[in-house]
Amino acid sequence: MIPLEHYLVFGAILFALSVAGIFLNRKNLIVLLMCIELMLLAVNTNFIAFSHQLGDMAGQVFVFFILTVAAAEAAIGLAILVVLFRNRRSINVDDLDSLKG
Amino acid sequence: MQSTLWNDLAAALPELWMLGAVCFVLVFDLFVPAARRDLTYWLVQATLAGALVFTVAGHDGGRTLAFGGHYVVDEMAVLLKSAIYLVAGAVFLYSRPYLKDRGLFRGEYFVLGLFGVLGMMIMVSAHSFVSLYLGLELLALSQYAMVAFFRDSLPASEAAMKYFVLGALASGMLLYGMSVLYGTVGSLDIATVANALSQEEGRSAFALFGLVFVVVGIAFKFGAVPFHMWVPDVYDGAPTSVTLYIGSAPKIAAFAMLMRLLSESLGPLTGDWGQLLAVLLVLSMAVGNIIAIAQRRIKRMLAYSTISHVGFLFFGVMAGTQEGYAAAMFYAIVYAAMAAGAFGMLLLMSRQGYEPEHIDDFKGLNERHPWLAFLMLLLMFSMAGIPPTVGFYAKLAVIQAAVNVGEVWIAVYAVVLSVIGAFYYLRVVKYMYFDKPEESHPVQPGMDAQVIMGINGLAMLALGVFPGGLMALCLRAVGY
Amino acid sequence: MSFTQFVFFVFAAVAVLSAAAVITLRNPVHAVLSLVLTFFSTAALWLLAEAEFLGITLVLVYVGAVMVLFLFVVMMLDINIARMREGFARYLPFGLVVALIMGAELVLYVLSRAPDVAPPAPAAAGYSNTQALGEALYTQYLYPFEIAAAILLVSIIAAIALTLRRRPDTKYLNPAEQIRVRRAERVRLVKMKSES
Repeated sequence: MIPLEHYLVFGAILFALSVAGIFLNRKNLIVLLMCIELMLLAVNTNFIAFSHQLGDMAGQVFVFFILTVAAAEAAIGLAILVVLFRNRRSINVDDLDSLKG
Repeated sequence: MQSTLWNDLAAALPELWMLGAVCFVLVFDLFVPAARRDLTYWLVQATLAGALVFTVAGHDGGRTLAFGGHYVVDEMAVLLKSAIYLVAGAVFLYSRPYLKDRGLFRGEYFVLGLFGVLGMMIMVSAHSFVSLYLGLELLALSQYAMVAFFRDSLPASEAAMKYFVLGALASGMLLYGMSVLYGTVGSLDIATVANALSQEEGRSAFALFGLVFVVVGIAFKFGAVPFHMWVPDVYDGAPTSVTLYIGSAPKIAAFAMLMRLLSESLGPLTGDWGQLLAVLLVLSMAVGNIIAIAQRRIKRMLAYSTISHVGFLFFGVMAGTQEGYAAAMFYAIVYAAMAAGAFGMLLLMSRQGYEPEHIDDFKGLNERHPWLAFLMLLLMFSMAGIPPTVGFYAKLAVIQAAVNVGEVWIAVYAVVLSVIGAFYYLRVVKYMYFDKPEESHPVQPGMDAQVIMGINGLAMLALGVFPGGLMALCLRAVGY
Repeated sequence: MSFTQFVFFVFAAVAVLSAAAVITLRNPVHAVLSLVLTFFSTAALWLLAEAEFLGITLVLVYVGAVMVLFLFVVMMLDINIARMREGFARYLPFGLVVALIMGAELVLYVLSRAPDVAPPAPAAAGYSNTQALGEALYTQYLYPFEIAAAILLVSIIAAIALTLRRRPDTKYLNPAEQIRVRRAERVRLVKMKSES
């Protein structure tokens, strides 16, 4: 069988990639949303690996809830994106200058 | 089995009431003609009042676990939930005319607001990582939608997007930390995690790794420096009624999350997260207080002021003693009331097509409406921490708790920065009382808003003179 | 290396490469499709960890619904791709450094933990992952389950409240009005004189 470490390393790589993606794609909102999905995927993989290792159902149940929340989050995120696009005709972060950050 | 389910349901009666009532409001609102939408509003207030009754009356003074340990009612839950209802009620009351003037007075707004309150209740009563996370997301999703609710406003939708991306990032960090903690101790239950961490010293190294992610997630949600960049933008871009909402009651819920996670489940690692909090609070106090001075826009100024207050809140928790927790709880409740008053004042001063945006808009408020000016004076004094207002006592309690555990240097630092921070609060007071008004339009808030704002403002004074009652409640809530 | 391990490495490599593609590809549609591939490969890894129900759910719900939603939005919004990638090169070195340092740190930390835990034994023949998950969900996790329902309701309300627009020029049917219609409103009997 596959040792726990393999899964954890895989989760860590995915997590790092998603954080890097958030830095890299600061200008592209739709990819930002995808990076968030990627991050949750990394977390879920961690939970599943631990759950398997510990022989405990709790981790898998948590993943179930995270998936639910992530789907709801994606729906709201995309809705906000659509509202923003209607107002701005662009989802380029550079154009988001009406707020001085 | 049957009887335990009934016991569980009885314990969670406030949440059940809230969920049922929100669904009722949602459907009810569909059948209310737009002209009589005030009915929806009153229903919302009745819902909050009912929840308050169920929460306070349904508590038997003890600590009850329900639903397989996912839900807990204790003194802390009752106190914080009651504070959340009161603040949320005031928030909706201040917002009503503002929403009407801007065409936002719709049922969905209140439904989302109430769902947010439900999320806060769940966070306050969470006794496992699962329910804590779900409560947090319920609150956060409602807030993202509320910020974007003013669909034709470009700043609002930009603020919503920023808030959403950074909020989701924070959740991801928090979850990664939780997954590592789960892997270390093999449980998601808060009490079990605390037990496991206090026994097995050998496995704590991996737990620390998770702890860092959990603290980063919390810091993001609170808006502590260096994870604060969303706070000013979101506060400034959101419609003021939403700024009022997200700036007040959710701070109490965030404090509950801090307590449940750091104190109750990661209590055995107090020394480790104490150091992380120390870094966050030192940066937050400096950045919050100093950058606020340079702000001319009132909402951005209050946003930076929030960041500095978060620093103080962390200071109390960092002490890691019962006294420190109680002081931080006192601070959180008082801060929520102060923020509700200060942002509410912006709503009371606005009218159709106008709202105060700059500090200059407060010039000569004393001539235009002396009563509001006096209340704003109390609120600003309280935020600055000037005696005899409650803000002074809250800061004093936190500093006392920290000095008692030997954190003298940070305490001195906190005092110095509070003095610096007092400058920008007093500037508002100076504008109100010593400058000529630039605007001549009369300020005419409704009678209900004036009365509640009066109670809100005078409470700052009353609690400052007699802080003992609330402090006793806070001390009891942390089991002192 | 056993066959299972070989399978693990193949799917893990595909998942990591496609995840890297998600964050670097120029075209958002390609990025979404790469994300689908990442999800798909990860679902296979979950199956290897005996989380059958969740693996299948990931494919059905994520690939089937959420990713399609993403594609919908990407295609609906007329996105200017060229402008979108401006500054990508500027952030690239910094992003790569962040990715490498963070990835290396996480991996090192994870590996430094004593690997003394033996892999768990495979589940017994009659064991059903779905049943176990279902039993946990509806008994011990009843309360979180209800909260999840509330979260879904919030997302429905929010998505509709944010995006539904009543355009005055849109034609739509109102069944209530259709049913309530009376004969007199639709048919007018005209009496005409015969011309002959």
